[in-house]
Amino acid sequence: MELATERTVSPPTLGGVKVLGLHKSYGKHAVLHDVNLEMTEGEVVSIIGPSGAGKSTFLRCLNYLEVPTAGTITIGDSTVDAGARRPDRACLDRLRRVTGMVFQNFNLFPHLTVRENITLPQMKVLGRSRDEANAVADSLLNRVGLAAKSDQHPARLSGGQQQRIAIARALALSPKVMLFDEPTSALDPELGLEVLAVMRDLADEGMTMIVVTHEMHFARDVSDRVMVMADGRVLELGPSEQVMTAPTHERTKKFLRAVLDR
Amino acid sequence: MTVVITGASLLIGALLGLPLVAARRSAWSPLRALATGYIDIVRAIPPITWLFLIYFGLPQYALRLDSVSASIVGFSVIASAYMAETYRSGLLSIPRGQWEAATALGLKFLPKARYVITPQAFKVTLPAVAAYAISLLKDSALASTIGVHEITYQAGLASRATHQGLLAFSIAGLLYIAMSVPLAVAARRVDRVLRRKLEVA
Repeated sequence: MELATERTVSPPTLGGVKVLGLHKSYGKHAVLHDVNLEMTEGEVVSIIGPSGAGKSTFLRCLNYLEVPTAGTITIGDSTVDAGARRPDRACLDRLRRVTGMVFQNFNLFPHLTVRENITLPQMKVLGRSRDEANAVADSLLNRVGLAAKSDQHPARLSGGQQQRIAIARALALSPKVMLFDEPTSALDPELGLEVLAVMRDLADEGMTMIVVTHEMHFARDVSDRVMVMADGRVLELGPSEQVMTAPTHERTKKFLRAVLDR
Repeated sequence: MTVVITGASLLIGALLGLPLVAARRSAWSPLRALATGYIDIVRAIPPITWLFLIYFGLPQYALRLDSVSASIVGFSVIASAYMAETYRSGLLSIPRGQWEAATALGLKFLPKARYVITPQAFKVTLPAVAAYAISLLKDSALASTIGVHEITYQAGLASRATHQGLLAFSIAGLLYIAMSVPLAVAARRVDRVLRRKLEVA
C-alpha cells in the first residue's frame, strides 16, 4: 500500500492529485464543466468563488460523494474513470481510503464519545485493534489540543472543538489528501481561528490539501495555489499571491473586490 | 395467549420490516413501488378483516391454519408494514451528513448501518415502537373472534358461565392495563436515559 511504483500510465507524484476533464450534470443542468487540477504531494490548493460556483460539488466528486458524469480522478495510486457507468467498488474504496474529508457541519457521530468517533473508523476500515486505535486517537487529540475532551460526547463541545475532532477523525486513517469543504463557514470567527490554526499546522507538516473556503487570508497566506471557480468552471488557477492580488479574470476581480473590500 | 400473539407478531413484524424498509428506500423503482404498495394495502385493510381472510379465506384454496397461527400470521403481516414505516421515519430523521461522513471515512454499508445509523435511528423509533406494541397488544383481542383463547375470549367464556359480565370483562380490562402501562412506563424511561446519554437538548 505504501509503495506503489511503476503503475499504469503517467501517475502523479506519490500522493499527488490529478483530475482531468471533470464534468457533472444533473439531467440537462451542468454544474461542472471540464474542471482540471494537478497537484504535487504536499501542495495546498484553496478553491474560492461565489456560492453556486460548484466548488463543493467539485470537492465532493473527488471522493465520490457526488458522482461525476465524466472525467478521471487520480489520487495517489488510485484512479477512477468517471466515464465508466459504474466504477467498481474496489476503486471507490481505494479513493476513499486515500482521501480524508472535513465537512462544513462537522458531522461527528453524536452517539459516540470523541475518542470513539476517532477509533470506530480505524477499527472498521483499517482493522486496527482497539488498543492501536486508541493510541492513534490519543496522539491526534493531543495534536489538535483536545486530549482532555476524549470521553465527552460531541454535543458538549463548541463548534471549533468539534471541527478539530472531525479533522483528527479523518487524519486517523492516514489519508494522502485532505479535502476541506468550507470547514469554518459554520463557525463564528473566533472559533474559526482555532480550526484554521490546526489546518495551518497540517499544511506545514506537508499534508496535501484541497480547501474550499471563504477565508481569504488562509487562501492567500497558507495555500500554495488558489483556484477560482464560477458557474461550474475554473476561472483561474495560479500562485496564491498572484491570484489574490493581481487576478487576470474580470469575474475574479469582481469577486475579490466583494470579499476583500468590505 | 395474548402475550404469545403480541410478542411473536411484534418480533416477526420487526424482522420483516427490515427488508421492507430497505426495499422502500431502494434505488430500483419497481422494488420501491412493490414495497410501498404492500405497506399501503396492508394498512388499508382492518385487522379483523385480515384475520378473517387468513383464517376463513385461505383454507378455500390453500392451507388451513389453526386459529393461533392464523392470528400470528395476520398480526405479523400488519406489524411488518407499520414497523417498516416506523423504521423509515427513524432513518429520515438522521441527517444526510451522517451517511456522508461515514461514507467518506470509507465505512462499508454494514458497519455504517450497524455502528452509525442504527444506534441513532433506534433512539428516534423507540417511542413509536413502544406505542405500536401497546396498540398491537390491544388489537390482539380481535383474535378472540376466530377462537383464540386469549384474554378477551376467556372473559367471554367466564361471563357466559357465571353471568357476571361486568366482573369478567373488568378483569380482562385490568389485565390489559397491567401489561400496557408497565410497557409504556418502561419505554419512557429507556427513552429518557437514551436522550440523556446522547445529550440532545
